[in-house]
Amino acid sequence: MRHSCEESVCIGSEGDIITVRKTVRDVATSLGFGVTDVTRIVTAVSELTRNILCFAGSGVMVLNILDKDGGAGIELIFEDKGPGIPDIELAMKVGYTSGGGLGLGLPGAKRLMDEMEIYSEINKGTTVIVRKWLRSG
Amino acid sequence: MPAEGISVIKVRNLLLVTVPANPDDETVSMMQDEVLKAMEKYESKGLVLDISTVETLDSFFARTIVETAQMVAIMGGRTVIAGMRSSVAITATQLGLTFGKITTALDVDRALDILESSLSERKSQ
Repeated sequence: MRHSCEESVCIGSEGDIITVRKTVRDVATSLGFGVTDVTRIVTAVSELTRNILCFAGSGVMVLNILDKDGGAGIELIFEDKGPGIPDIELAMKVGYTSGGGLGLGLPGAKRLMDEMEIYSEINKGTTVIVRKWLRSG
Repeated sequence: MPAEGISVIKVRNLLLVTVPANPDDETVSMMQDEVLKAMEKYESKGLVLDISTVETLDSFFARTIVETAQMVAIMGGRTVIAGMRSSVAITATQLGLTFGKITTALDVDRALDILESSLSERKSQ
C-alpha cells in the first residue's frame, strides 16, 4: 500500500471543523468519490474533529491518499494529546457518551467509513484512523 | 443582526427559514436564536426549515434542529424539515441520527401544504 501525504489541518477551535470538512471534501471529490460517499466521509470527519475538540481540546488531522493494487483510497488520521479513551469497546457503543454529546461520533463514523482503527493511551492521547476506498463502477 | 446566510421569512402565519450550505457551529446556534425570536415576533403557527442546500448534517447540527423543533412546539408551533438531500438522508441514517417526531417533507412546497392543512384542521376542531 502506497501512501502520499496530502495535507494536514490543525484542530483547535470550532471554526476548524469547517476547514477540515472543506479540505476533505475537495480531496475526496477530486479523487472521484460520488456525492453520497463524499457526504459520508465529510460527516464522519466532522464527528471525529468534534471529538478532538470536545475531549482533547486540540489536535491535528492528517490526510493521505492511498493506492492499493491500483485502487485509490483516502486515509484520515486524527491525533490528539488528550486524556485518552479508558475503554475503547465502551466508547464504540452507540449511545454511550462521556462528553455530553449524542454518543454517535465513533460508532457512527465507523459505519460511514470502510475501515477504522483506534489507538489510545491514558494521559498520552488518542489516534483514530479511518479509510474509505474508491470502488470502480 | 441576523447571522450570515440564514434567511428568516414570514409567510402568512408561518416562518420559512433557509439554512446555509455549510454553517459553522456558531451559525447553527444563531439560527435557533433567530427562529425563536421570529416565532415570538410574528406569532407564527409553524416553521418550515429548508435544508435543501445543506451538504453536511452532523450530530451537532441534527441535535440543534431537534431541539429547535421542541422549543417551537412549546411555543405552540409545528416544525417541518424540508428538502433533505438524498446523500444527507443516507448519511444521517447510517450515522444513527433520529429526528424524533419532526415531520419531514421532500420540498418547501409540500412542507407548506402539510402545515396549512394541519392548521386548518386545528381551526375546524
